[in-house]
Amino acid sequence: MFKSGTIYSNFTPLVKAPVIGYRISGEDVLNILKKITKKNFSRYHSLIRIVKLYQKDNSILDECSVVFFKSPKSFTGEDLCEIFLHGSPLIASQFEQLLKDLKIPGLRLAKNGEFSYRSVLNSKNSLKQAKAINEIISNESFSELEYNKKLLFEGDIVSGLIPLREEIINLFSEITASIDFVDDEDFNFKKMMKKTRKFFTNCNNLLHKNRTNIEQKNICKIMLIGQVNVGKSTLFNKIIDKDRAIVTNIKGTTRDILSNEFFFNSNQFEIYDTAGQRSKQGKIEKYGYKKAQKISNKIDHFFVLIDKNTKKSDISALLRDFTIHKNFSLIETKSDIYKYKTGNIKINHSLERDKIYKKLKLSSIHSKYVKNKHKKTNFNLEEMDFLRRILDYEHDIVNEKDILIIAQLMRNILDDFSFEFGYINNEDVYDRVFSKFCIGK
Amino acid sequence: MEHYDVVVIGAGHAGIEAANISDKYGLKTALITKNYSDLGKLSCNPSIGGVGKTHIASEVDILGGVICKIGDKSAIHYRVLNLSKGPAVWGVRAQIDRDLYSQNMKKFIKSSKIELIEDEVINILEKNNKIIGVELSNTGKIKSKAVILTTGTFLNGKIYFGNESQEAGRIGNSSSKVLAKFINKNFKTMRLKTGTPPRIYAKSINYDVLEPQISENNDIFLSYFTKQNTNKKINCFITKTNNKTHKIIRDNLNKSAMYSGIIKSQGVRYCPSIEDKITKFGDRNGHNIFLEPEGLNSDVVYPNGISNSLDKKTQLKFLRSIKGLEKCEVDQFGYAVEYDSVDPRELKNNFETKKIENFFLAGQINGTTGYEEAAGQGIYAAIHAAIKIKKIKFSTKVFERDNSYIGVLVDDLTKLGVTEPYRMFTSRAENRLKLRTDNSYERFSTIINPKFLNKIEYSLISKNIINEEKILDQLKKLKYSPNDLMKKNIKVKKDGKVRNGFEVLKFLDPSKDKFEKFFNLSITQKLLTKIYFDSKYDVFYEREKKSYDQLNKNKNMNLTNIDFNKIPSLSKEILEKLNKYKPENLHDASKISGITPSALFQIVKHKKARGAKVA
Repeated sequence: MFKSGTIYSNFTPLVKAPVIGYRISGEDVLNILKKITKKNFSRYHSLIRIVKLYQKDNSILDECSVVFFKSPKSFTGEDLCEIFLHGSPLIASQFEQLLKDLKIPGLRLAKNGEFSYRSVLNSKNSLKQAKAINEIISNESFSELEYNKKLLFEGDIVSGLIPLREEIINLFSEITASIDFVDDEDFNFKKMMKKTRKFFTNCNNLLHKNRTNIEQKNICKIMLIGQVNVGKSTLFNKIIDKDRAIVTNIKGTTRDILSNEFFFNSNQFEIYDTAGQRSKQGKIEKYGYKKAQKISNKIDHFFVLIDKNTKKSDISALLRDFTIHKNFSLIETKSDIYKYKTGNIKINHSLERDKIYKKLKLSSIHSKYVKNKHKKTNFNLEEMDFLRRILDYEHDIVNEKDILIIAQLMRNILDDFSFEFGYINNEDVYDRVFSKFCIGK
Repeated sequence: MEHYDVVVIGAGHAGIEAANISDKYGLKTALITKNYSDLGKLSCNPSIGGVGKTHIASEVDILGGVICKIGDKSAIHYRVLNLSKGPAVWGVRAQIDRDLYSQNMKKFIKSSKIELIEDEVINILEKNNKIIGVELSNTGKIKSKAVILTTGTFLNGKIYFGNESQEAGRIGNSSSKVLAKFINKNFKTMRLKTGTPPRIYAKSINYDVLEPQISENNDIFLSYFTKQNTNKKINCFITKTNNKTHKIIRDNLNKSAMYSGIIKSQGVRYCPSIEDKITKFGDRNGHNIFLEPEGLNSDVVYPNGISNSLDKKTQLKFLRSIKGLEKCEVDQFGYAVEYDSVDPRELKNNFETKKIENFFLAGQINGTTGYEEAAGQGIYAAIHAAIKIKKIKFSTKVFERDNSYIGVLVDDLTKLGVTEPYRMFTSRAENRLKLRTDNSYERFSTIINPKFLNKIEYSLISKNIINEEKILDQLKKLKYSPNDLMKKNIKVKKDGKVRNGFEVLKFLDPSKDKFEKFFNLSITQKLLTKIYFDSKYDVFYEREKKSYDQLNKNKNMNLTNIDFNKIPSLSKEILEKLNKYKPENLHDASKISGITPSALFQIVKHKKARGAKVA
């Protein structure tokens, strides 16, 4: 076991929330639990216990649930516990103070990624898996998420980089043969360079293709537009469930674009609130309106908000301003105030959030614009970076005439691959040379 | 009883170099050969050098060795391979007159203080795992502080012509049983295989229909110190196998010792038998055969490219299907040899056996092939024996793999062992651009010793070093801005960087006229070629040095006492490899094929955790 003190850290953000979680890992976990809960956890592996936490002066800090994992059956392989406090940042700060006051040597706040690091050190996870965990958390695209999940849960899958490594070994062996076995093989420099250029083109294509796949987020972008004071911001706030946009009765309250992400049925959306349209806009308002027009080409779907004052000509002006063709729906707002009948979607602001989502037909909009875009990827972002590193050699190699320098650069590429996938030594290259070329006297 | 400092057993390429350098160190040296006539014999093909091989030979040369000098004295045909590819891989190859070489070598040994003993070693004498001497069949026991064993392929040698087989090292040599027993008892050995082609009578070859290869007239020799070669030059000839040849061989594969399953050991991939070539690459129209004359007065030709272990009848039949050889007569048929070699991982880094102190092994017995590889090991082992006996303070840095081919060879052998006879290729050297034959004196400058070279040679090297320093000084004083260079028609980035003459040199080409006109300095072509490529490769030297240093950071983490099986997270495949190669330290482990950085990480972690427990 690798020993370097006991570490703790919150694993939820320190903001007002139902719970705030802390994780503690290391040899002093049981000792700490005993001191702060006055209970012995050693025989409670993997069980949830509701206990009271006591401060220095014996007053109760919080009542919370605690799960203890005994070494080595924990994420880090060490003794580990997870404590779920009531979600007040103040309680959290008291809790941290409590830990500090224990004055246990070696007990400290964990560094970034230190729990994962320990899990690797104690052989609970391979480095690759630890990386994959990190990547899964930060994934923004389903394509990459699927790839990383395979990496993590199904062991080593074949990376899309492997075929490239094969290609470069082939090129390198060809050059090796031409230098070390000059009697045996006819070598054509031009042909070899053609293959080399093809290799880089191939890398470029893969990079490009997968970049669009990976970087294609799962997000459907929607935008609220309409005349001033039609209730865009009210709807915006309702949809994102936060009081983000300032809502007043004064026309032109929203001057800049606001945007926010939200989920519905595990579909991700980004919604934009815009400044309203009117003939007399303020300077900033005008700027905001222009800005909204500018990004409108990235928007998948528009909700055009109307009320009883909206004329047909106003709607066509809006559609023209944002160059909208068919990707919009008309939403009647303030229908709780102005009650009359039309065929448009009617939004009553007193509706529940989920009902509004349904009324807006968000699910079908999402699948219309996003689902078919998400494709399989053979790389994750880290591997993409690697591909870019390989492409850094392109210029130097394809413009070089000295075959020895080309060989040296290719060796550097192979070294880079070695770091990702295990070392390729001379013997691996010779295996290729001798199986591909008839060499030797 | 005679007392020696160093006893060298075997007078092949390794043995001669070892005895020579030991003598030059002023050590009392005996060279033992079973058969005087075999001294300095070229046992296989009659040529020295080639790509990779020249590189080792030139290092032996600069360290005071004899292979290149005697080679040049006996050369009857020169070629430089890879001339189009830059001097780092130029490979001088010389065809050697066998008789001349052997005579010159004998003359040289006689002129030295080396005591030549023609006798058979019947035992190695050791006490408490430390060498005390050897026992000879006629001479009896002799004492020695160190013994260097360079007996080539004698260990349990067996030769095969088709289904026939006989015991022997090379034809005409009987295996030495007692010595073999000693080796087998003390060291791990492995069985290797090599082959040799039939030898053909020159008079029976129809040269008129064949394409000649003419000796190239140039001033590049094997040795850095050779000024000229006045021997008469001969031509080599090229011919090819054809479909008829291939059919004959295919039809008779069951008579090949290799293919009928009699020989089981690993063959040499880069020196495949003709059976191998036909089986693996049979779809080709033909495989080249180089007809190499064995000497000016010899009637025998060595047909390089058709080593085989077929029966004699088939050999003659397929030979006669080849253009120019229709009426050929065979002097000696081709055969395959199986022999034992010592696993070179039994050796310490200085080529002393781990088990017996002051007992050194060098040459083919360590699983290598080739005269040059043997010579390199001979000189290396002897230098280290001398260092040990004379307690000389010595920085072994010159023999690290980033500084010499000998270093690459030693490192590969002692760290990774061999699975087939080991031959040097330039691609084995990560630092290939730096390890050139034109700068070996520079690479070994810290250990070049006036004792190793004669006065003329030594002053030649000093003169060259001084000349080079002078011209580099002058070049580095010259300054050029990008604008200056543009005016001179040299394209560089407009980065505002002022470059000195040395940095500008790489934008020119290595032409003496251009250089002298451009810089207004005079220079010899040889020196220009050298510094031109130094200028061109400078950035790569730096890069290579960096990565080498990085590797060396972990170099010292000792792994000898670690039980890899106790590291649960290592994959089966990686475990197998670690257990097979038993790396001594982390640096060695990192060089094993298929070992991932993550595996290295696990090892470090395991090692550290163990350390913590002990503490």
